[in-house]
Amino acid sequence: ILEDYLLVEDAPLLEEMAEEDEELDLYNEMTFGLDRDSTEEDATKPLIPLETSPELAKGVAEETEAGEELEPGVAEQLEELGEHQEEGGMEVEVEQVSLELEEEEEELGTEEQEEDQEPCEEPNDLGDPAVMRAVQSKPTLESQDSAVLESRIGACWAEFGKEDMVAMDPAVWGSCPGSIPPHHVLEDKAILQVLERPPPSTNVALDFLGSPVQRGYGGSPRLKHPNLRLMSPKSFPQRFLQQTAGYASPTPFQPMSPNISSPSRPLAMHFGPMSPSLDPALFFSPSASGQLNLSTPSHMTQLHPQHQRILTQRQQQGGQAQSISPKKLWSPKVDPYAGLMTSKEKDWVIKVEMIQLQSENMDDDYYYQAYYHRLERKQVEEELLGGRSKQEPPKLVTPFIQKVETYDSVVRIAGSLGQVAVSTCYSPRRAIDAVHHALVEEAAGSHRLRALHRIEKLFLQLLEVEEAQRKTSLAPEKQQPCCQEQKSQEVEHIYQALQIRACSSEEEAEDEFLQLLCVRKGKKLTARLLPHLTREQAEKILLIITHHLPFLMKKDVLDESLPLLYSPLNEVVSGMTFSRLIEVLQEMTRPLPESPELPLAMALKNQFGISLLYSLLSHGERLLSSDMPLEPRSGDFETWTDTVFLVARELSQVPKASLVEPLFLPSNLLSLFCRYLDKQTIHHLEAKME
Amino acid sequence: MNYMPGTASLIQDIDKKHLVLLRDGRTLIGYLRSIDQFANLVLHQTVERIHVSKKYGDIPRGIFVVRGENVVLLGEIDLEKESDTPLQQVSIEEILEEQRVEQQARQESEKLKVQALKERGLSVPRADTLDEY
Repeated sequence: ILEDYLLVEDAPLLEEMAEEDEELDLYNEMTFGLDRDSTEEDATKPLIPLETSPELAKGVAEETEAGEELEPGVAEQLEELGEHQEEGGMEVEVEQVSLELEEEEEELGTEEQEEDQEPCEEPNDLGDPAVMRAVQSKPTLESQDSAVLESRIGACWAEFGKEDMVAMDPAVWGSCPGSIPPHHVLEDKAILQVLERPPPSTNVALDFLGSPVQRGYGGSPRLKHPNLRLMSPKSFPQRFLQQTAGYASPTPFQPMSPNISSPSRPLAMHFGPMSPSLDPALFFSPSASGQLNLSTPSHMTQLHPQHQRILTQRQQQGGQAQSISPKKLWSPKVDPYAGLMTSKEKDWVIKVEMIQLQSENMDDDYYYQAYYHRLERKQVEEELLGGRSKQEPPKLVTPFIQKVETYDSVVRIAGSLGQVAVSTCYSPRRAIDAVHHALVEEAAGSHRLRALHRIEKLFLQLLEVEEAQRKTSLAPEKQQPCCQEQKSQEVEHIYQALQIRACSSEEEAEDEFLQLLCVRKGKKLTARLLPHLTREQAEKILLIITHHLPFLMKKDVLDESLPLLYSPLNEVVSGMTFSRLIEVLQEMTRPLPESPELPLAMALKNQFGISLLYSLLSHGERLLSSDMPLEPRSGDFETWTDTVFLVARELSQVPKASLVEPLFLPSNLLSLFCRYLDKQTIHHLEAKME
Repeated sequence: MNYMPGTASLIQDIDKKHLVLLRDGRTLIGYLRSIDQFANLVLHQTVERIHVSKKYGDIPRGIFVVRGENVVLLGEIDLEKESDTPLQQVSIEEILEEQRVEQQARQESEKLKVQALKERGLSVPRADTLDEY
């Protein structure tokens, strides 16, 4: 049997490698779960550390000989190999133990039970602080219900082949071709295991065990020879890990039960049995195989319901579906470095990706959300057309992972040069955002950079306000008033931070608010903020902008971003009183110290300027032609008429080539002019304005 | 994509040859061996490919670990179609020389442009003072 394996000449080198492996194993175990990884690393190395421990060999030998007698030997083995296994998780032990095909499950059962009695807590918690709880693993039924174990193992073991063991990715081990027709066999060695949802009749705790019949394994390369023994001590049990009853595949998403109060270890570690109230977690094979037997317990996840449905459907179809994916021709020369990323690691990444999908923020995962919305809409349409019975989406009730509210993804150790990376991160977005916030805090030297920093900071605050508002609009009625108040406070805060104040034309370049307005994003910020402001605040901004319009237009020559402000300012204008309107219009008609040209004339040559002007005039005309009492101040009407004449004059004087087309041409301007001007002038203006 | 429709993941790309474009403009070609949740990449047998007009040169670089945020885009290379290119491969020395010449030409034309704009009273903001991050 031994000759099936590679022999390594270099014993000392091997020892070193083995030591490194141990450390890596520990790290991997902490991040990804059980230490399957040493095996997988071994697999990619051409040399396989080959230390068949005598006990192991003995254990195996014993097993092959006898049945029940093996128990003690195996148990012993377990203790040996258990050094890296700190988890009390059943499946780990089970996996470690599943040595032989022919092994009676009573043995396993016993082994597991023994292991059950040594629950361990993960001492070094490298887990993601975002994970609030971890479920303590409990003894699972698999240890008690031997019948299930047996059938599964039996099926799997029949397929092993020795030639594949050495080079291939242990991930493939998980595939149990048992009941799967040969053409399902996937050639892609980097395939993850696929576990199917066990039949509902099984005990809940057993849930993550799949029924062998349904098990839609990706299929392994045909494994013929059951001689899996005598691999290196570390690798040996791990190879069998996959075959265990339970879930051979790495890391199922095991949703955490919210009422378990003992966080024994972070989620990272826990891809293990969960509390009995949980449903089977599943795994999906990211391989190209069409057999995606993927389903997550519906009440456990917050995946989009449509996604959920797809997963369950796939899982149901899994049994019947033939391998849909085109069998990629594996290149004839085997890639010796393939499988560097183990299936466990892949699963982990996928898991993090799935966790990320469960975000309360509507802005995250726009494409994911949009995809499912569309799918849902289509289905609804189909239902309406086809008159099919409505498919009830699975109810999303409990969160699959509870995220801690405050999350320090960035760890700062006093005296260190920078940030310490946290080894596991379930919320990459939060981590990235944390870094972003850190950056923005830096004090910047130049004026312009400071302005940019302010804009960024205020923009983020505004986004938070809008986010909060979105949430409160979904919240129940009674909570809304207090949230509204908080919102107005924060909006007020942002408004104050803008530092809007009157300033003379000499000070324009230095004025804080105007500096912001010279930047495109600053205009965007203002435009986005305007709808949230009080009328007074918004009108103040309009006044400032109009007052400094020449300056702003000059600064905007390259960027041409002023039109961003048109829409919100237009809204502000439409709500103004007549007097206020006159005040604003006066800004446009006041003479400028540096130039003979009126601001109004300059505005005609600028798209934003002319649009704003037209908007103001249009509103005035609307007010005048309506029946509403205007309450003008003395002199308002005169100013108004003067302004109209001025505009008409400038319009007629400006060459048509310089006249810019406005963003919007209000329809009542001509009627406005009709009031005051003669026909000839009107025709002239009309021609100009077209 | 098949197990998480509506999302994208690099899991399916593992162990395949990829072309990666970085933010600094470099083009890397290598086998994608490992990823993480930030889309940090581990590229194996990586080659940095320098393109100058119709020529290109490859500089073997070994193993790269690329921080995810620095990737502009990446895509799988179809091994069958890989050699089917109108571009001509040249030696490293040659391509580096070509690149130097190209850089020089670009810098000169840029200088002229800035000068011309200055004369007309326009100033193009330098990259470090651009508005948006």
